[in-house]
Amino acid sequence: MNENLFASFTTPTMMGLPIVILIILFPSILFPSPNRLINNRLISIQQWLIQLTSKQMLSIHNYKGQTWALMLMSLILFIGSTNLLGLLPHSFTPTTQLSMNLGMAIPLWAGTVITGFRHKTKASLAHFLPQGTPLLLIPMLVIIETISLFIQPMALAVRLTANITAGHLLIHLIGGATLVLMDISTATASITFTILILLTILEFAVALIQAYVFTLLVSLYLHDNT
Amino acid sequence: MLSRVVFSAAAAAAPCLKNAALLGPGILQATRIFHTGRPSLAPVPPLPEHGGKVRLGLIPEEFFQFLYPKTGVTGPYVLGTGLILYFLSKEIYVITAETFSAISTIGLLIYVVKKYGASIGEFADKLNEQKIAQLEEVKQASIKQIQDAIDMEKSQQALVHKRHYLFDVQRNNIAMALELTYRERLHRVYKEVKNRLDYHISVQNMMSLKSKSRQ
Repeated sequence: MNENLFASFTTPTMMGLPIVILIILFPSILFPSPNRLINNRLISIQQWLIQLTSKQMLSIHNYKGQTWALMLMSLILFIGSTNLLGLLPHSFTPTTQLSMNLGMAIPLWAGTVITGFRHKTKASLAHFLPQGTPLLLIPMLVIIETISLFIQPMALAVRLTANITAGHLLIHLIGGATLVLMDISTATASITFTILILLTILEFAVALIQAYVFTLLVSLYLHDNT
Repeated sequence: MLSRVVFSAAAAAAPCLKNAALLGPGILQATRIFHTGRPSLAPVPPLPEHGGKVRLGLIPEEFFQFLYPKTGVTGPYVLGTGLILYFLSKEIYVITAETFSAISTIGLLIYVVKKYGASIGEFADKLNEQKIAQLEEVKQASIKQIQDAIDMEKSQQALVHKRHYLFDVQRNNIAMALELTYRERLHRVYKEVKNRLDYHISVQNMMSLKSKSRQ
């Protein structure tokens, strides 16, 4: 346990040049744009998936909320593809950096809140007080609701960071355990390897689920405010 | 041209970007030599039916053909094995925890691709076929609609040609009715005249009888 467990999370540099921008831009190459009526299989499947997701996610919004469609769909595509690419060996996942997730969460959350306060000021302020509270509890409840409102962007960012980072760390640790156990007892090593395979399956699911959860929550905040 | 506008706008906004703005159009023109494809977008060239052939999912078939004259069939495989063993023995590639996670991730991916690859490909083909079938249906429906309109137009034209029969029948009817009325009146006139003449004859007969009986 002498190695630095967080070595894989440092900003990647190549000969002293930070290439993290290239790594963030890379997933966009994997989504080619459809330019004919009948495309190849990759584009057809991506088109079908995007149609499915967008229909399901934008069905709850009114007209004003549906103007956010492009933003929400590119958000889920970016987070999903970045998380999935991070599961490949020796790769860097940008969404493990809290700075990047804060950079995504705070502007989006602030956008929804400011939209709500600009266009429906009374309704947005009314969100601070749930219906049917007893008269004595009102001051405390307003304070609690304000705190819960301001914690929303922090929770969005930290949730994504913590989930992906924890997953990567677990894979690293259990891989290390398998490596060490190979010399001691092969049977235990094979059990640990099975655990590693199960964990990898979980991580694939978590990668997609976290993208979905992030986008869903932003869309819920939007729904409250349009 | 749009990128030139973007560059000059960025230079106006931040003076430190002015160097980038000065270099930008130059780089844009210099990279034009790499644009070797066709510049026009339509008609779009057709997609090939199958992709390039690969072995082991990664290495193009051309590489095996390239090495075949010198090393035969086993050449590339021996090269690959040798390279892997070289990297491992010289510890250029170190076996760490990440090796096991690589084995599990890549193994999982290969398993999923081998098991579900063909069915996902068929699903994609089915999606495209559905799209084409929908458009084909619209095309056929509009062709049928236009064909029906043409047939109805032809039948209407045929009807127009036969319309004169209707008028002929009506004309004949009216002519017969007129003829009938004329003959009826002719007969009445004849009867009236005969009546009058019969009266005169009977008056004459009576006069002659009366003169005969007085003598």
